[in-house]
Parts: sequence; C-alpha cells; structure tokens
Amino acid sequence: MNSSRWVFAIMAMPLLGVACSNDVAGGGPQAGSLTLRLTTPHADDGAMTFQVSGPAIDNATAANASLRLFTRQASGSTMVGAVVGALANGAVVTVRVPDVGAAASYTATVLEVADRQDALRTSLTGYAITVTR
Amino acid sequence: MRISILVLVAVVGATPAMAQTPTAGSWRDAVQRLRTAPKARAARPRPHVAATLESIVDESEPNDSVRTADSIALGDQARGVVNPPGDVDTWFVDLTAGQFFSADVDAQELGSPLDATLVLLAPDGRTVVAFNDDFDGFDSRISYHVPTSGRYYVMLSSFGRIGGSPQARYLLNVGLVTCTAVGTEQEPNDTPGTATPIALGDSVTGEMCAHDANPVGDVDYWAFTGQAGTTIELQVDAAKRGLLVDPFVALFASDGTTRLAFNDDADGADGADPRLQFSIVTTGTYYATVTDAVGHDGNPFPYTLHVRSIVPGPGDPITVRAENLGFPLGLAVGSTGDLFVGDVGGNRVVRISGQGPVTTFAAGIPNPLGLAFDASGQLLVASLDGTVYRVTPQGQVTRFITDAGFPFWIAVAPDGRIWLTNVLDRSLRRYSAAGRLEAQFDGVAIGGSGPGPLAIGPSGEPYVSNFTEIWKLVDGQFQRVFTNGLLIWAFAFDVAGNIYVPAPTVGRIQLFDGTGTVLSDPFAVGPDAPQALAFGRDATGATVARLFATDPLAGRVIEMNPAGVLHPGLPVGYVAPPFTLDAAVTSLLGGGGLSAADVQYLDALGNHNGRFDVGDFQAYLRTLNGLPGSAP
Repeated sequence: MNSSRWVFAIMAMPLLGVACSNDVAGGGPQAGSLTLRLTTPHADDGAMTFQVSGPAIDNATAANASLRLFTRQASGSTMVGAVVGALANGAVVTVRVPDVGAAASYTATVLEVADRQDALRTSLTGYAITVTR
Repeated sequence: MRISILVLVAVVGATPAMAQTPTAGSWRDAVQRLRTAPKARAARPRPHVAATLESIVDESEPNDSVRTADSIALGDQARGVVNPPGDVDTWFVDLTAGQFFSADVDAQELGSPLDATLVLLAPDGRTVVAFNDDFDGFDSRISYHVPTSGRYYVMLSSFGRIGGSPQARYLLNVGLVTCTAVGTEQEPNDTPGTATPIALGDSVTGEMCAHDANPVGDVDYWAFTGQAGTTIELQVDAAKRGLLVDPFVALFASDGTTRLAFNDDADGADGADPRLQFSIVTTGTYYATVTDAVGHDGNPFPYTLHVRSIVPGPGDPITVRAENLGFPLGLAVGSTGDLFVGDVGGNRVVRISGQGPVTTFAAGIPNPLGLAFDASGQLLVASLDGTVYRVTPQGQVTRFITDAGFPFWIAVAPDGRIWLTNVLDRSLRRYSAAGRLEAQFDGVAIGGSGPGPLAIGPSGEPYVSNFTEIWKLVDGQFQRVFTNGLLIWAFAFDVAGNIYVPAPTVGRIQLFDGTGTVLSDPFAVGPDAPQALAFGRDATGATVARLFATDPLAGRVIEMNPAGVLHPGLPVGYVAPPFTLDAAVTSLLGGGGLSAADVQYLDALGNHNGRFDVGDFQAYLRTLNGLPGSAP
C-alpha cells in the first residue's frame, strides 16, 4: 500500500465508524454503559461484594463519588467487585460493555454485605441487583 | 464536674495509698490490721500546752450527752472511764475565738485497754467541728483553731462505741497549743525568705505546728545549696515515731515558688513518711519544705528532715520538655514524634511538637485519662465521663466507645484491636478496631486495685498493673509477671522486652527485664511523681531510645537522659501489614494470594468471624483512611 492509500484509509475509518454507530436499525453491537441497581432491606449497609456476568464486560466504575469500587475480572464474562460506602437503594455501579443491546443477557448477584460497623449480614434476603441500560 | 474531679482524685490519689499496703483487702481490713498490729511506740512527744495543770476533774455519770456534759476548763485534766461498753463521756469547755485548742487523751499510754475516739462539737451542740481516732498510738488528740467564742463539747468514747469496761480508764488533757521553735528550725520559717539554712548531709529537726491562720497549716522552709550534677534525697521521719501523722516534703527551685518535686508517702518501709529524690541541673539555692496533710487543724508533731546526696540513675538528669500543662496524665506519641498529653483538669489534649510550643490539639474532652493512637492514626482518649473519644488528626472529637463503663487506661495492639481497662467492674476489655466490644476479662482475681495501667507487650499480649504487680493476659488467662514493692503506673516496653516502670509514690522510675529482675533501680530519680511513660518516635514513626513521662503534680512532661536509655521503645499501636491494598482486594474477590496469617489479621481488624469477608475489608480500608469521605 502506498502512502496515498494509507491517507485514504485513515480518513475513511471515522466515516465508517459513524456509519456503524448510527446503524441501530441494522442490529450491530453498540458499546455503552449498564447500571447495576441495588435493592436493600437495610439502611446501614457499608460494604458489599457482588458478581456480574454477561457476554463481555470492559470495566466498571462506582455510580457516584460517595462509593468506592474494587473489581477483579474473574473470567471474560464474569467480574466480581466490592463496593464500599453508604449503600442505599439505587445505582451503585456502572459497567461498560461492548454491546448495551445485550443488557438482558447480564445478571448480577449480591455475594456479601456488611453493615457500617463491619458486621457481616447473616441473611441476604431482600437484597437484589438489577442490570439496566 | 465537681463530682468527676472528686472521683478522679479518689482514683488517682487514693489508689496509691491503697497500694502501699501490699496485702490485698478492703480498707476495713486495713484499718483492722492497723488497729491490731503491735505498734512501735517511740518516746512520746509531749504536746505543747500553754496552761499548767489547773485541776483534775473526775467525770460524773451520766454525762453521755451535751445536756448532761461535765464541765472542764483549759488547763484541767479530766479523768474518767468508758464503762459500760458504748459509754460516751461528754465534757464542755468555754473557748474564745482565736485560741488553738487542744484535747489530748492518755489511755493506751497508761496501760488502759481503751481505744478512744474524740469528737469536738460546736456551741450548737450538734455540729462536729473536729474528730480524731488515733494520734499517739490508739490515743486520740484534737487540735482546733477556735473561730467563734462559745461553749464547745468534747465527746469521748471507745472506737466504734463497741468497747468499754471498768478498766477502760483515761485522762483527758485540755488546754491551748503553743507553737515554739523546736530543734534545729528557726521559726518563723514559713517563707523562702525566712528559711532555716542547712547543708547537704544534715539531719535537722523541727515541728509541724499551725501557729497562724494559714489554711495549709505550718510550712517549714529549709534552704540549702545544691550543686549541678548532684542528686539529692529529702526524707522526713515523723510517722515512724509512732504518731499517726502524714507529713509532705517538697523541693522548690531558687525562685522559691517553682516546685520541682513533691512526695506524700514513700515506700512501705517509710509508711506515711515522705521521701523524694531529685537531680540538680543548676547550681543554686534550693528550698525543702515540710508540711502536714491535715493542714490548719492538724495536731502538732515533731519531725526530722534528712538532706543527703545519693547516686543518680542512668536516666538522670531529666529534662523538662513542657511545663504548665495543668494535670498531665495520659501520654501518647504520634507517628511523627509529637507528644500528645491529656490535661485532666483542663479537659483537653495538648500537642508538644519537637522543641516547639505546646498547643491545644483537642478541647472539650472531660478529664482525659489514658491515650493511644488507633489503627487509622486517630487518637483515642479515655475520659472520666465513661466515653472513649476519637480525635482526628485535625483535632475533631467524636464519641467512639460508649459501653466501656469507666475506661481509664487504653492501648492499641499491633493488629489494631483496642484494649482498655474498665475500673468500674475491674475488667480488661478488647474492642475491634472499629470500636465494637469483642471480649472482656474479669480482672478482680489479679488482686490489688487492678487491672489498671495497660501496655501491649512484645508478643502483642496486653500487660496490666494491679498497682503493685504486672500481669499479662495469655490465652484469656492472667499470668503474674512480677511483683514490685512500689506502686506501678503506666509502664512501657523497649524492643528488648525490658519494662520501664514509673513509681509515683517514691518519685522515681525503675527498669526491669521481662521477668521482673531489676536492671536499674533507680533508673531515674529526677521525676516528681511520674505517671505515664512513652518512648519517642522519629519523623518516620519508628520508635527511638528516648523516654518521656508525664509528671502531673508538677504539671510537666519530662524526658529521661537518652544516654541512659538502652534500647529503642517497642513499637506501639497498630503495625501496618506487609501486604498491599491490591492484594487484599484480590483475596477478597476470590483471587487468593494472602497468607493465613494475613487473613487472620484482616479478620481480627473487622468482625473476627474466622474468615476474611467484606466487613473485614471495610475495617481494613478504615485503617488506611480509605473509606469514601476519609482524609487520604
């Protein structure tokens, strides 16, 4: 490939990208964020570990600045994490995925919860995490 | 607040007195022992009574009450018998304001089985203005400055009103006390300017006699020249003559007002007699003072003051690091070497930075007692109000532990757990780093007044003092480490496991090895009444071979001579684990990588349920100031 063809290819790539991202009706994968929303029966949760699984997960961040998130990629399709802070009903974590259209394929599970005095919850009844776009 | 201070005084002040009677037991036991023990009866000093004997007056029963009291006049000698058991003999005497009245019983001295007590009632016939049980052996004496002219009543009975027999005879001498110069002293010598000159090596005699209206009673000043580098000892002999008296001795600087050292009661051999040692740094005139604990209305008594030089300890001379601190008790050293001191009376914690000025670090903590830094670098302060407060590095105070009863001494173990002694139920308690009670250990069985002062030993186990012994807790059981003949307050370990012990009643610091073998006694004699010891730390937080002590009665923090400190201090408080936060995260989230010891450590930081879980992780983050909203 000569240099003029390199220039053409580089200039064409963004155009192709735009064409793809706008091609929703076309059914191609759309990278984006999913939100993990916590349901808790308690008002004094201080820390939680969870697992989220799905087709692929690029990375994750805490949903707001009052929470701190630690993660480990257990496999290509499973991420485990610990989120610490004043947990409450609502968004706790945002995960970046290659295809938000596959949101329904993602599941999340609460593994452990501790209150703010470090005591481990003996029951996880009433806890749930839902994955939403 | 007044009650609080009284409680504190009771704990801080009374406990040493209790501890000087090594045999355990209640104060009632102690009284009983005192009363039944054979007493060395030295030749009795005759009271200075102004009047000559006017007449001998026999009692006339019934005279059990104010209404039926017998008459007696100054200079008279009353004669009676306490019979039957429970009998009370009452005498009235007319007194004039300004007189220094004396009522003195002779009974035991005459071979009588009577153990007398005396009560002096005001002219209203009800108000007790003076009381005495024992003065000269079991024989009572009252000395009283008469504030108001009128008819006063002297009531004489047997101790507890349980004794009495036809043989329980007594003589009651009533008159006026006169105070004249006795022995070597040259009255008036109540000020530095009128001090009686003496020299090192002298043994001089004087008398405590409250000749004027000074509320503290008689104060005898003695002046001597002290040479720099000399360590001196002041010792008073009075109680050992068989008198139930309690003199104090103090040492004042050349200005006559700065108190350098003080002692009430020395060790057991001296009983209530005081003794102090002090290392003189500056050549000059010094003043020894002798006073009486009872003060204005104390009975006169003679004493001997010995002023001698002694061999100092390796920790002498001391250096004053900060003064005018109120009543500094608890001491902790921060991670950059600053000293933090609780000022009990000032309801504050002060910070002493390097050689810089003293600043108030935290205010509003009622009567701070023991201090320690927790795993997150915040200062824990046990308070007389029953709370352990936590103070951020910025000085913000919050209530932290509120279920500790009466926490007095506090320490933090290398695993971040908090240990404290609850003097209310005499327990040693363990809390998680988060302040949750994990366990408590009944300390009544260790005897004495323990568990009291507390330190973490080389193996991470808590050591406590019962005030004359040091014990350690091993697998939940107390084990005696060693017994000391002196009161033991807040001791400290060096890295070799040696124990530095403050002995406030004798004003010195001792050094023992880990088994209680004396390595150096005295280690230092310069302190007045040292209460809490702590090793210094450098700017990196490493402990160093510098030893500090609070000296509450002198209101100061002192440092021992570092040339005499053998080893650096044992690291105190939380010790950061050898793994990273990332490693902890990986382990928590199923990736393994931590050792069993690390996992055990993390579990101990948190909920101690036998495994490492998210609660423990939260606790660990807290120690790193890593929780959301924490200061980095």
